[in-house]
Amino acid sequence: MREDDETLHQIARELRRPVPVSESFDDRVMATVRRLPKHVRFGLWSRLTTPRTVTVTPLSWGLLAASLLVFAALGAAHASVDLRRASTPLANALFKDNAKSAHEQSVQFVLVAPDAKKVSVVGDFNGWDASHAGFQAHHRGGGVWSVTAPVPVGHHRYSFVVDDSVWVSDPNAPRVIDNDYGVANSAIVVEEQQ
Amino acid sequence: MSRAGDALRAIAALALFSVPLLSQDPRLKTRLDHPTFVAVSALVDSARVAKLPTAPLVDKALEGAAKGSDGAKIVTAVKQLSVRMGSAKHVLGSSASADEIKSAAGAMDAGLSEHDLARLHAAGGKRPITMPLAVVSDLIAQSVPIPTVTDLVLQLVKSHVPDRSLTLLQRNVRTDVERGADPTVAATTRVRGLLVSAANPPAKPKE
Repeated sequence: MREDDETLHQIARELRRPVPVSESFDDRVMATVRRLPKHVRFGLWSRLTTPRTVTVTPLSWGLLAASLLVFAALGAAHASVDLRRASTPLANALFKDNAKSAHEQSVQFVLVAPDAKKVSVVGDFNGWDASHAGFQAHHRGGGVWSVTAPVPVGHHRYSFVVDDSVWVSDPNAPRVIDNDYGVANSAIVVEEQQ
Repeated sequence: MSRAGDALRAIAALALFSVPLLSQDPRLKTRLDHPTFVAVSALVDSARVAKLPTAPLVDKALEGAAKGSDGAKIVTAVKQLSVRMGSAKHVLGSSASADEIKSAAGAMDAGLSEHDLARLHAAGGKRPITMPLAVVSDLIAQSVPIPTVTDLVLQLVKSHVPDRSLTLLQRNVRTDVERGADPTVAATTRVRGLLVSAANPPAKPKE
């Protein structure tokens, strides 16, 4: 047992003896560490900001392009429906372009209002916007006001607005009872030109 | 991350960002107060899901704003129109055009029942009844009783009277009423005249 103890003590002493290290060892270790790639953190931000190389097959590009076309077409169709009736300058420009299509006809609106200072036409074809530039009637003399404007083919409701405040239905057109807002409208059916 | 997964995520993101763009009409936001805008937008979105035409709903809201109605009244009007259009589409079928549905909703607002709308639709066959429905709204507005209007327009539809003649009919009845005629008598007389003309079309001149 004594010999064994002595052997163990010798081993322990040998292991505890300091190892001689060259003075440049620390520098070499740190240089190696700095050369290693940075630690990649997980999470949305690091995934978004870390540069990555992505390889995409032609099929994936095709899918992406097709979906872009579909959504662009949907957006354009929706915009054309809504902007046709809007009153912004951009929409007006589009409206004028559309006016030449086969789906709109020029319609003359006439109102006799000798005491009026301003007459405009509002309806579902111009978003009920009394300030719409294309639907401002002009005084032709003798109390006759008129405007000719493009109106989409279909069944529409409209009214005249006199002096920005008084709603007047067209005496020359069918009237429609308005149970919702209490002011009767006129009706017009614009047909496709034969 | 797989390449197919990347492509699918891109498509999903496009779909996600496209939906709000499609469902908003910029005029609603600028011309309605915020609570009304939110309520009307929800109704328009619901109509879109139900495959109903949405432009008439937007127009109804804009009409209310132009007429100075309060938000509650606008929302009620849009909702009622949506319900009427739903009923009209149910009767007219999925092949009905937006204009026909809108016209039917207008006639129902004037007082035409769903049952009578179905009778007119059946009489018209595959032919759209947009114009006859406009005549229904017009004659009811001129104080002709609804049962009389329904019977008269039903006869016109069955006789395939062309839309141009219906436009003329409205004008003639209006003129008669302005000159003092009883609306029912004027409408009945003018419709009879049209039916006789339709039954005996003028002979084509010989060449």
